Amino acid sequence: MKFKKILFHTQFRQFAFNSLKTILELKRAGLTEVVLTFVIPREEVAFVPYGGYLKDVERYMRENAKLRFQEWQKTISRMGVGSKIRIKTGIVNAAVLSIAKEEGIDLIVIGAKKRTTFEKVYVGSHILDVLRRSDVPVLMHKYKVRFESDEGVITQTNDRIFERPLIATDWSTPSENAVETILGFKEIAKKGFVVHVIGSKLIKGVEQKEIDHIKNESENRLNAYCLKLKDAGIDAEPHLSIGNPVLEILRLSRETESTMIVMGKTGKDWMRQYWLGGVSHRVAELSELPVLLAP
Amino acid sequence: MRARILFVLAALFCLLFIAGKADATGEKSPPIKAEPEESPMVSAKTGNQGSEDPAKTPEAGHGQGGDGHIELGEVLPLWSCIPFACMLLSIALLPLFMPEFWHHHFGKVSAFWTASLVIPFVVKFKGIAFYEIIHIILADYVPFIILLWSLYTVSGGILLRGTLRGTPVVNTVMLIIGTFLASLMGTTGAAMLMIRPFLRANSHRKNRAFMVIFFIFLIANIGGSLTPLGDPPLFLGFLHGVSFFWTLKILPLMLTVSALLLVSYFALDTYFYRKEGIGLSRGDSKKEPLRIEGFHNFLFLLGVIGAVLMSGMVDWGEINTLGVHRSIQDWARDAILIIMGILSLAMTSIRVREDNEFSWAPIIEVAYLFIGIFLTMLPCLLILKAGPKGALSFIINSIQEPYHYFWVTGALSGFLDNAPTYLTFFNTAIGSFYAGLTEAQAVPLLMNENAIYLKAISAGAVFFGAFSYIGNAPNFMVRSIAEEAGTPMPSFFGYIVKYSIIFLIPSFFIVTLLFF
Repeated sequence: MKFKKILFHTQFRQFAFNSLKTILELKRAGLTEVVLTFVIPREEVAFVPYGGYLKDVERYMRENAKLRFQEWQKTISRMGVGSKIRIKTGIVNAAVLSIAKEEGIDLIVIGAKKRTTFEKVYVGSHILDVLRRSDVPVLMHKYKVRFESDEGVITQTNDRIFERPLIATDWSTPSENAVETILGFKEIAKKGFVVHVIGSKLIKGVEQKEIDHIKNESENRLNAYCLKLKDAGIDAEPHLSIGNPVLEILRLSRETESTMIVMGKTGKDWMRQYWLGGVSHRVAELSELPVLLAP
Repeated sequence: MRARILFVLAALFCLLFIAGKADATGEKSPPIKAEPEESPMVSAKTGNQGSEDPAKTPEAGHGQGGDGHIELGEVLPLWSCIPFACMLLSIALLPLFMPEFWHHHFGKVSAFWTASLVIPFVVKFKGIAFYEIIHIILADYVPFIILLWSLYTVSGGILLRGTLRGTPVVNTVMLIIGTFLASLMGTTGAAMLMIRPFLRANSHRKNRAFMVIFFIFLIANIGGSLTPLGDPPLFLGFLHGVSFFWTLKILPLMLTVSALLLVSYFALDTYFYRKEGIGLSRGDSKKEPLRIEGFHNFLFLLGVIGAVLMSGMVDWGEINTLGVHRSIQDWARDAILIIMGILSLAMTSIRVREDNEFSWAPIIEVAYLFIGIFLTMLPCLLILKAGPKGALSFIINSIQEPYHYFWVTGALSGFLDNAPTYLTFFNTAIGSFYAGLTEAQAVPLLMNENAIYLKAISAGAVFFGAFSYIGNAPNFMVRSIAEEAGTPMPSFFGYIVKYSIIFLIPSFFIVTLLFF
């Protein structure tokens, strides 16, 4: 899978342009066109209570977005990549998905939301919905993030995101797709970390012999995944862990100094998936790294 | 967002229901004591201390929505209505003159006027004021919002697809269908269901503004006059004891106005159609057959209708919720309405709603604004209920004839939201004819002995809701959708001068001559 055509959705938050520039690295992996997308949330301009539609505000937002995109296009053009502007008013998640479909997009890139003092997540409801419903891989970019660690509050810049991807796998088909996704940017990936976490619930009350069997089986599979990456020219390292999948993935991503987390969409129970979110969504919400989710 | 709304609705309902159940079984502390005797000011003025009259106790006659405190209405000064007037003026003027400010801060404006009434009201009248506030929230606001939410949610799951070509005949038929649907699924529901197909059908037409305006006249307003589901004022009437089928008495008036408007529309559309010189071949290349998606939502709609009907027909007794007696069937109705909405959300493809461009924004806005409207109008309602003894006796004395009610209710409904206006004049009529009786006693008498007055109030509130963009909530939703779709709509005054005065007012005169 090659990322030839990318949809870059932005709400023009701080560092949106920096995020775009990091994505343009994909030129070396075959990127030919970026569709710059801005969706004016309908509730921003429509349904003024007992009023009507804020036409002037919409026009202003549209023109402003167009101007900023035109500026960005100069940089994109200098990199030898084509670009296109799409500005639409509507429901953000639905509009992003419909533009992706219309344009035949290979990868959707969306920005994370800014974390406030009270929030522990980087993902808003619109983004989560795009992650949940997209038929193509979705990269949730986080250019500059602040997060708490044992050494205090750290500000991190994620600017070379494709260099050291961490692939978290649960052996599902979407996980297989996640590996394929990495092969899509093999030209710029230097080292991959293939991670599998044996859920602590899974081995609760299970005999040691059975646990050893699961571990051996998992290690074999991890090695097979690594081999696949090595065959494509990417150095790869397996990591097996036991515990809470979300926390372990976050821990390993920090310890391996990964630059991005790549996962298949998880969650079999749709009710649980819808209301609580699966492992992939929790990781996307909590990690300070960009997260690429494969369908 | 969806999860949050569902959670809040469910939590609210559970909380109220549990509180009610606990109160009913006596497990919790006793309900808020709100006897009129508690207010020295009230008893001093009215001399009702220790009254044995059950009609004058706060819990009397709440089976049909509650009666309020007649004594309080006699002592409240006229200026206590100022927050209500300011609230309505804010709704009328701010969208016109400060639309951006209003769009982002309407909730704060509503909260400000609400606080300006509620705080001094509670400080002055303490328990009795608190009782009135809880009462209007539980008996009027909560069921009102739940009904609007469920109708909006269910109708938002129905999508009309296919190619319709907007000719005068097709458009008129669509308006007729929408007009009758409005009484079944509410003016908001019918308007939201029909407006996008209507706009799509006419996207090739040059003059579209008049079409949308007649759409507002008929589907967003006049069509909703036949059942309590149709238009919010009639549902408020239902909550206050007007029987479900009583509103069918408005049928002759509704048919008269609708026929006059439809004939005018057809003539106008035919004129423009010919003037535009649209050939039959244009736009016929991609024809998609008409079909309805989300059809199962009609079942939920039937559930909504059944629940409202049921609540008006059975008597399962009452439970005490936070000191307010409410019928069990009313709680059951509200629960069923919430369930219908949740089922619609769960069982309808998200793509149907997205293609319908379904948004929670309008219903959230209505919820925010109406809590302010309901609370600030409390003194006004109580004063009007006090009849000639209240500070608004001059209104009661000057409004005598049915046509007075029709035109005064209408004139105010045209510029203020028609739901509170209906309730105001509903109480004026009760105060005028049955001052001293509880609402439960007065409403059946009003429906039978003085039905013409109730007809005048109901028709006035519903029909005149079409008079301006701010007369009824669906008007602004339709306007917003039409403008977004590229239909140039007239300004606030352009709408009134070019359309309402020319088409609506003559129709209302004819109704007056024929029926009042």
